[in-house]
Amino acid sequence: MKTFEEKWTAWLDGELAGQELAEFEASLPDKDGAELEKQDAHKLGAFLKEQLVARPMRNEEFFHHQLRRQIEGEAAVRGTLPVESRPREPWWSIGRLVWTGVASLAIFMVCTFFVMRQETSTGQSGYLTQVINARVDPAVSPNATISMFETKEEKVTVLWVNGLETLPSEYAAK
Amino acid sequence: MPTETTTAQAEVPELDLVKRCQAGDTEAFDQLVGRYRTRVFGMIYNMVHNEQDAWDLAQDGFLKAWKSIGRFRGQSSFYTWIYRIVMNVTIDWLRKKQVKGTGAEFDDAIQLREIDPASRTVPKADALPHQRMMHGEIRQRIDEAIAQLSPEHRAVILMKETEDMQYHEIADTLGCSIGTVMSRLFYARKRLQNMLRDLYENV
Repeated sequence: MKTFEEKWTAWLDGELAGQELAEFEASLPDKDGAELEKQDAHKLGAFLKEQLVARPMRNEEFFHHQLRRQIEGEAAVRGTLPVESRPREPWWSIGRLVWTGVASLAIFMVCTFFVMRQETSTGQSGYLTQVINARVDPAVSPNATISMFETKEEKVTVLWVNGLETLPSEYAAK
Repeated sequence: MPTETTTAQAEVPELDLVKRCQAGDTEAFDQLVGRYRTRVFGMIYNMVHNEQDAWDLAQDGFLKAWKSIGRFRGQSSFYTWIYRIVMNVTIDWLRKKQVKGTGAEFDDAIQLREIDPASRTVPKADALPHQRMMHGEIRQRIDEAIAQLSPEHRAVILMKETEDMQYHEIADTLGCSIGTVMSRLFYARKRLQNMLRDLYENV
């Protein structure tokens, strides 16, 4: 709902049309007086336009010089570009995507290395090295095998002999 | 809205200059300033009626535009955008000046109390003879009359009558509704009609 002032202004500027115009004009108590007002307002507008010609700026070069100096001062304080003038990079820029990818890959590889190493160490036998796994002299004991292990932490060597029935005297002497 | 482009400058599209400014090219900004400084300065002068103040405010306005050019998205013309900045700088300055010292009222409510919306401002008969008044004196009378208006009323009447701006453009520039623009125009016109009637009827 427009106020009287709004309708009047629109009417003066020729912005009312159709039913709105007819209703507004019908609501005016003194149509002739209003028309005079309208002409008067148009005279004022034309007068202002004629008289208020743009005043030329003096010292234009100095204006530019001074402005440049202020801008350079701003740039010196805030960096090469003024903060608000810096084009805002989207978060998904190519550079950022590449760096994110490389960093993720590096983290993945480091994690994989540690996990694999841990799994290897837990899956491994407690015995680090099987030194011997062979049959004893078949002439002495054809079914005997001898194995020797060394534990990793304890540094203990275990000699496991299986199927040895008798130990020859010359072996026992050694 | 016409601009102050020279033939050489006109070859560079405005948006290209703006993009260069956004990349930090001060030379491009210099070109944009060159295109609009006279119009901007003239508009500010009509608002403040003092050359030095208008000069300083134009500097402030352009500097503010440079600082915030990163936010310009090209949805309006650069002139409309910079015009909004400059006009707001000027209105703020005028408000501060009025708060500090003398000055006219700048509130629509006061205007409402003083002017009967239905009053007639058409002169009845006897007009004063101002035919011999020098242009400078006429201008001084106009400036004095405009100085009696609030900053907002000055802005709307000048934008409408001297810049031929549409209601929506004025509203966009001042950040208010079209209805407010029309209402302010109504009171600004009434006041100026009362104060300058003898001039425009006789000069």
